[in-house]
Formats: sequence, structure tokens, C-alpha cells
Amino acid sequence: MLGRGLKRKLSDYEENMAGLSSAFDSSRNLPYPLKRQLVLNMCLTKLQTYKMLVEPNLHRSVLIANTVRQIQEEMRQESNQQPVNVCPGITPSSHSYTGMESSGISLQLPSGISQQESNCCDLRSVEDPIENSLLIVSDDDMSSAISSILKDLDFVEDISPPTCLVPTGDDQPKFPENTSLKLEDDRQDLKGAECVFGSFEISNSTSYLKDLAIDDIFEDIDTSMYDSDFCCPPLMPPRPPSLATEEPLKTFPSCNSSSASNIQICRTDLSELDHIMEILVGS
Amino acid sequence: ADIISTVEFNYSGDLLATGDKGGRVVIFQREQESKSRPHSRGEYNVYSTFQSHEPEFDYLKSLEIEEKINKIRWLPQQNAAHFLLSTNDKTIKLWKISERDKRAEGYNLKDEDGRLRDPFRITALRVPILKPMDLMVEASPRRIFANAHTYHINSISVNSDHETYLSADDLRINLWHLEITDRSFNIVDIKPANMEELTEVITAAEFHPHHCNVFVYSSSKGTIRLCDMRSSALCDRHSKFFEEPEDPSSRSFFSEIISSISDVKFSHSGRYMMTRDYLSVKVWDLNMENRPVETYQVHEYLRSKLCSLYENDCIFDKFECCWNGSDSAIMTGSYNNFFRMFDRNTRRDITLEASRESSKPRAILKPRKVCTGGKRKKDEISVDSLDFNKKILHTAWHPMENIIAVAATNNLYIFQDKIN
Repeated sequence: MLGRGLKRKLSDYEENMAGLSSAFDSSRNLPYPLKRQLVLNMCLTKLQTYKMLVEPNLHRSVLIANTVRQIQEEMRQESNQQPVNVCPGITPSSHSYTGMESSGISLQLPSGISQQESNCCDLRSVEDPIENSLLIVSDDDMSSAISSILKDLDFVEDISPPTCLVPTGDDQPKFPENTSLKLEDDRQDLKGAECVFGSFEISNSTSYLKDLAIDDIFEDIDTSMYDSDFCCPPLMPPRPPSLATEEPLKTFPSCNSSSASNIQICRTDLSELDHIMEILVGS
Repeated sequence: ADIISTVEFNYSGDLLATGDKGGRVVIFQREQESKSRPHSRGEYNVYSTFQSHEPEFDYLKSLEIEEKINKIRWLPQQNAAHFLLSTNDKTIKLWKISERDKRAEGYNLKDEDGRLRDPFRITALRVPILKPMDLMVEASPRRIFANAHTYHINSISVNSDHETYLSADDLRINLWHLEITDRSFNIVDIKPANMEELTEVITAAEFHPHHCNVFVYSSSKGTIRLCDMRSSALCDRHSKFFEEPEDPSSRSFFSEIISSISDVKFSHSGRYMMTRDYLSVKVWDLNMENRPVETYQVHEYLRSKLCSLYENDCIFDKFECCWNGSDSAIMTGSYNNFFRMFDRNTRRDITLEASRESSKPRAILKPRKVCTGGKRKKDEISVDSLDFNKKILHTAWHPMENIIAVAATNNLYIFQDKIN
């Protein structure tokens, strides 16, 4: 560990990371994908930490985001060349997805580590403890965490599934669902993404309104309901999915108007309601 | 004493200003050489101390604005008073530092203690007489340039016309007139329409020492752009673009981060400029854009420690660099309270330490060496025992003589050439 001075108490996670980064620097035998994964972990952790700050450092955030992009690009190119995944074969258990969808890998990783350990200790020989710990924090957990964080950061690219997923039978039907969810989230993100730099936009502009366009603040408030003249029924309170999806369809015939514009408005409102339903169903 | 955040000599070198994290400015003055005390050749003593910036709270955004002084730049002296610009993250202030060593006595309407005299008592007119008093140095803010920067100011630079100056933040550079505080011109704006597309920020900017229309700014991608203000009002298109092609053999995950330029300084001659990135200092000829003419390794032994330095955030430390008066040598800081000096002519370099233990007054500094591997010799320090909390980010070189000022956290060291 670098630096002189009194030894201070680190949290478990910090100690792991410090140990891992020393391993990165000193070990020459660490395989490249693992090194890359470690760096990616560190980058994402830092970005998460910065997001929680009131005023994150723009310079650092840009540098780290560029590093993440670069690694992501590299990984995507590799996965394009090699459809069979290269990462060690740890089957994605249901554990790997719980708690990983939301942001905050720094919180989830310790629990993820212990869960994965119990799952994969028989799959992988424990010869090299450092390599093993790196493996544990890599792979499926990271890829799902990465995709969720990058969505937050609004780096969403194409619709390809996350890398390093072992295509098992379970996963096949999941892909289309993931795809559609991603599309929905795209739209939601486009509306008012709270990405790293987006927060800079609002929090850093001069308080004297020289830079700030008032509209930017209210961008994510959906005012389409108030804009339309068409009398659209208000959103129903959440009900069992089967009932809820039928409700809007039932109420629309009550607005008997044959004009094309009304039908158009019907359709957009329908899709919006679908969208809202999917979120309710999905959560 | 607070952590020193900037160090700057004035044009004559008689005054040395330091700014600290608490918003204070301390100015040191060089003592006149006197025959009676030949050994106290030009010592620097405290001349003036004042609070330049206070912490502010932006109520609209619920943000605290730090009072830390990011940069101080002196104005050329035009009369008996001294002027300097000091800036924190958001506001630049012009300070006047003036001496008062005489006092007027014998006012007609006031008593000596300032009370108004009874008009009926005044029977004769007298002319007030100036009497000497103890030297008093006063600092007063003459201009406040505020509300022009959305992002954090990282540089200010006084133009050679002595009338204007620039201030740069992460995404924009503004041009000011020293007399006008309610207006500034935006001359560079690299903010993208969509903030998610942001990949590069401005890290430093400086005016050319002789051509008042030319300035440069450096970026987090290791590039420098030279702009000519005569070409257009908004200098979004550069006149020259300096970038060294990447060495593919030394590519790593951290290549971009360590290429980010933390400081850019023109040489006194105006022919060269120097840039500091994390591991090296590069000297560029303004006439050659595709690569630097000289590259000096500051602490190459850190290249194999980049992951650890990234983990503890040291990789983001912003080191400054400076030229000596004749442009024959350059200086920059490192870790463990080490600083490095490079002689451009002889290509010799030296590592010195700024610490109380290793420097007694008038003692000669001993060169230090970092052991990179293998057997450590006596007096060498191994890379793993370097103290990364003791970093020298700010150094300054006297404009004419071999006197240097080195800021080591909250201590200021001033070193001079050996006297024969």
C-alpha cells in the first residue's frame, strides 16, 4: 500500500479495492480482461460517488467517463468478434440480478461477492485468491450493473444485450423483454435524464439566469396532458395488470368523436399509458 | 496556517504573493540589501496579509462556493501602489496594495483624535503637516468581477496591453477590461449543446507575453489550442493546434487521464510554451504543432503505479510548472515534498526536497533520488515509501534571479542560489 503514516481503518470494500489496485500494479500475470474489469469497476464506483455529491468535479467526471466509454467500446468490439463469451462460465443465478438493477454498486458489491462466492466456488478453482476475488466482482453482476449505471449516465448505445452473459435456455426469452424495456427506458431517459453532466447543467448555471433557460428545469415534467384539448380520462389508480390494461381501452369509446386528430391523440395517449403500465408491471 | 493554493512573484520579484485555502492572501517583500547586514541578502518577510475571498452560499442552487484562492496574478506596477488579481471558483477581485508611512497632522476642523473641533474655537487657519508614521500596508478591493462563470475558474491571465485579462473555467473563457466589472466578453465556449456529449474540458489558459491578441488554452485530452482574437469575436476555431501523437507502446487504461494538461506557461521570450501533464513536462515551439521540442520526465517511476494512484485520486493532482527568468531552466513539483528542476541547455536535472528536516537556514539542499527498483542505495528513497499526501503543486521562480518559492502543503519555502 502506498504512502507512509498511521494506518487508518478502511472499510472492507475500500480495502478490497486498494488491495486489488495494488495487485493490478504489481502483478504481471493478471489477464487483460480482468485488469480491464477492475479498472471499469473503479471508474463506475467513482462516478457513482460523484453523482451523490452536490457539486461533482466536472474535470474528473469527464476523464472517468471517457475511460469508461473506451473500455466499453473495447469490450463491445471483442464481443462482436467473439460471440461465445470469453468470461469464465458462471451461470447467472437469480441472485445475481437482485439488487443489482438499481444503481449503487458500491453498496451492492459486498453482498454480491458473498452470494457469488457460494454459487461459484465449485466452478472455479481457488488457486489464485486475487484472481478469484476479481472474478467474483466481474462478469454478470458487473455487466448488469454497468448497463444500469450507463443508462443513468445516458450512454445508452444500441440494443445489444449486455456482454458476458452466458446464453442459457432461461435467457433466450428474456432478450426481447430486455430490449423493449430498454427502449422504454430510452424514451424516459430522453425526456429528462439525470445523467452526470445533466446535473451539471442545472446545478452549476449562474443563479442570475444568464445561462439558464427556464425550460430546462421543467423539461422532465410531462405537461402533455394539459396541452391537449381532447378530454382524456385521467390515469386510473394502479390495479391488477389484467384489469388495468383493459381500462383505458374501455374508457376511450366513451369519447365518441370521429375526427382524425382525436384518434391520433387517442393513440399517443394509449402508448403513453402502455408505457406507464409497463413500468408498473415491471416494478 | 492554511494549505497554500497559489504562489506568484510580481514583475520585479520584490513581492511574492501566496493565496490559501482559507481565502487569505499573504504578500512577502524582499528586504533591501544593506551593507550593515550582508548575510541577510534579500530575505522575504511578511509585507501584507488580507482576506481576499469569503465563503459564499448560493441560495438558489444550495451550493457552497469555496473561498480557496485558485490563482493570483500581479499587474505591472504603474505607480507607488501594487495591484493584483485574485480569484476563487467564481469571482475575481482586483486588489490595491498601498503603503502609508506619513500622516497628516494639524487639521483645521478636526482634533488629533478625529473629533470635530468646536467652530468657535477655530481662530486661525493652518496648513496640515505630513509627519512620518510606522509603515502601514493597506489592501483594498478596487474591482469585483463576478457572475460571469458557470463553472469553476481555473486560470486568470493579464494581457500584455495591461488593460484586459482573461479568466477561464472548465468550459468557457471570458475577456475582461480591468475597468469594467459589469460586462465580460466570452471568447471561447466549448460547451456542447447536449452535455452528454462532453468529452473535453479546459484546464488552463494564458495570454502571450508580447502579442496581446494571442492566447492559448489546454485541455483534458492533452491538447493545446492557440487562438488569435483578431480572427473572430468567438475564438472557437483555433489558429494552431498542438498535440503529440500517442505512443502506442505506452498505452494503458489511464493514458487519457495522465495526458490531461494541468498547467500551461509561455516562456518569457514568447517563443516557447511549457505544459505539465501527470508524468512529464513538455516544451513546445510555437511554430511546431505536431510534437514538443523537449520532454522531461518528472516521476516516470509512477507509471507502474497508475492504478493505485487512480484509486486514491492522486492521478488527478494538478501540478504547476514555471520557467526561470532566462528560460534556461524549468521547475515543477512532485510527491514526498520533492520538486524537480531541469536545465534545458545541459539537460541535467535535479530532485530536491522541501521539508524542515532536510533544510536548515542557509544550508545547502542535498539532491534526492528515488530508487526505482533493485537494490536501494543509501540516501535513496524507494517508490513505495513516498508520501503521496505531501505534494508540491505550486512553485514560482523569481523573474530575474535564482530565487524560488515552493509551497509544500501549508508551508512556504524560499530557496536562493548559494552565496559565495
